[in-house]
Amino acid sequence: MRRNGTVAFGAVSTAFIALFLFGLALLIRREIALVIEGITGNVQVAVYLSDTAAEQPDTITGLQTMLEELPAVDTATYENKEATCARAKEVFAANPTIIENVPCSAYPTSLRVTLTDTSQYEQITAALACEPDDEGKMACAEPGVLEVRDFRDVLDRLSAITTALSYGLFALAVVMLVSAVVLVANTLRMGMFARRKEISIMRLVGATNWRIRVPFLIEGGVEALFGAGLAIVALFLGKVFLVDQLAGKLVWLPLVRNSDVLAVIPWIVIAAVGVAAIAGTVGMRRFLDV
Amino acid sequence: MISLQRVSKTYKNGVVALDDVSIEIEKGEFVFLVGPSGSGKSSSLRLLLREEDPTAGEVYVAGKNLSKLSSWSGVPKLRRNLGTVFQDFKLLQDKTVFENVAFALEVIGKTKHVIDQRVPEILEYVGLGEKLNNYPDELSGGEQQRVSIARACVNRPLVLLADEPTGNLDPNTSVDIMRLLDKVNKIGTTVVMATHDQAIVDAMRKRVIELDKGKLVRDQSRGVYS
Repeated sequence: MRRNGTVAFGAVSTAFIALFLFGLALLIRREIALVIEGITGNVQVAVYLSDTAAEQPDTITGLQTMLEELPAVDTATYENKEATCARAKEVFAANPTIIENVPCSAYPTSLRVTLTDTSQYEQITAALACEPDDEGKMACAEPGVLEVRDFRDVLDRLSAITTALSYGLFALAVVMLVSAVVLVANTLRMGMFARRKEISIMRLVGATNWRIRVPFLIEGGVEALFGAGLAIVALFLGKVFLVDQLAGKLVWLPLVRNSDVLAVIPWIVIAAVGVAAIAGTVGMRRFLDV
Repeated sequence: MISLQRVSKTYKNGVVALDDVSIEIEKGEFVFLVGPSGSGKSSSLRLLLREEDPTAGEVYVAGKNLSKLSSWSGVPKLRRNLGTVFQDFKLLQDKTVFENVAFALEVIGKTKHVIDQRVPEILEYVGLGEKLNNYPDELSGGEQQRVSIARACVNRPLVLLADEPTGNLDPNTSVDIMRLLDKVNKIGTTVVMATHDQAIVDAMRKRVIELDKGKLVRDQSRGVYS
C-alpha cells in the first residue's frame, strides 16, 4: 500500500462511498418501516373502540368474533391502552416530547385487522354500519365502535415508495460495490506487479500459494475495512447532525435511532469482507497460477 | 532421481520445444545439457520445475510423477527439493546478501533460529562469509552468482538446476563458479546444468546430453561439447 498511495486511496474512497450508500439504503428502509409502523401499526384496518367498550370484555370479544367471521378478514387482534402506548413509545423513541406529553390513558384501544383480500374492505364498514361523517371519518353505528380507519392506501403508497427508494439505492450501492471490487483488485495487481520478482523467487523456492497470496489478501482486506470504517463513521455523523436535528422539528415523524445505525454495521462489514474476497479472487487469478 | 519418459512439449503457437525425449539421471550425477538456442534446454528445466506440463510423456523427479502433483502442496514441495540458478542471478536488489538467502527460507516457513544458523553457514561455504551485509550491486558478477547458488542450496535440495549460470560471467569467473558447482555436486547434490559454454563442458569432462530442435541427439558420459 505504501508503494501505490494514490491507487490505494482510490480503492479506499470507492469502498467508502459504496459501503456508505449500502448502509444508507438499509437505514432508509428502516426509516420507512418505522413510518409505516408509526402510522398504521402494520395493519390494513384499525377499528377504534370507545372507552366504555374498552371496559367491557364481552363487547370486545363480540366485535372480534364478528369481524373474524367476515370472509375478507384474516385476523382481528385486540390492542389495549397499555399495548398501544408501548408501541408508540417504541416507534417514537427518538422523539421524547411525544411520549412525555401523551399519557398512556389517552391512547385509544382498537381491534387491529389484517385482510385476506384487501379489495373487500367494504365488508367491514358494512358489518359495523359505518358512514363517512362531515370530517371524512368513518363513524360507525355498531355499539362500542368509534371509528374505522382504512390504512390500505397509505400502506400501498408507502411500500411503493420503500420499494422504489430502496431498489434505487441498492442498485447504486451495487454499482459502487462493483467499482470498489475492481479498484481493490487493481491495487492488488499493481502491488503484485511491483513485487513480481519477489513472487517469482518465492515460487521457485517452493513457497505455497497461500504464503504468496496472504499479504495481498490482507492488503485488500485492510482497504475494504478501512472504507467500511469510514462509511460507519459517516453514517453516525449523518445520524447525529442531520437526523437528530429533525427530531426537534418533526415531532410526529418516527426517526431512526443509534441502535438502528448499530444494527447496520455488521452488514457493512460483511459487504466489505465480500468486496475484499472477490477482489482477491479476481485480482490474483491470473497472476498466481503455479 | 530424474526421469523423462518419451516427453514432448509443443507450445500453443506450434513451436516444438521437445520431441519424444527420454532421459534418466541418477542421484549424485553431474549432467550438462547442451545445444543451440531453442534446442529445448530451458524447456526441459521448466518441465522439471513443473512450471509447465509436457504435451506428452511423463516426468519423474525424486520418485514423484510431476503430472500428479497438486499445485497447492505438491508443486511447492517439489520445488523445495530443487535448487535453481539462472544466468541473471535473480537477486533482490533491496536486500542484503544475508537477506536474499534468508528470504528463500522465510517464505517456506523456516524459523529465525534455523535461518540464523544455516544462512551464514552456506554463505561461508560459497566463499562469501565476509559479505553478509553487502547489497547485490556492491558485488561482482561472480559473487552475485555465488549468492544465488547459496540461495539455491540453503534448503539442502536433492537437485540443483542451473540455466546458463556462467552466461553473464568472464571465463576466469566462470571457472570459479564451476568449481563451486562441482563442490556442491561432491556433497551428493545432483546437478543439471544447461549451457552452451564449450570451454567449460570440455574442461569438466562430465556426462553431456545434447539436444537439437527438441530431439535428443547425444547422451555421452565424460563427454565434450560437440
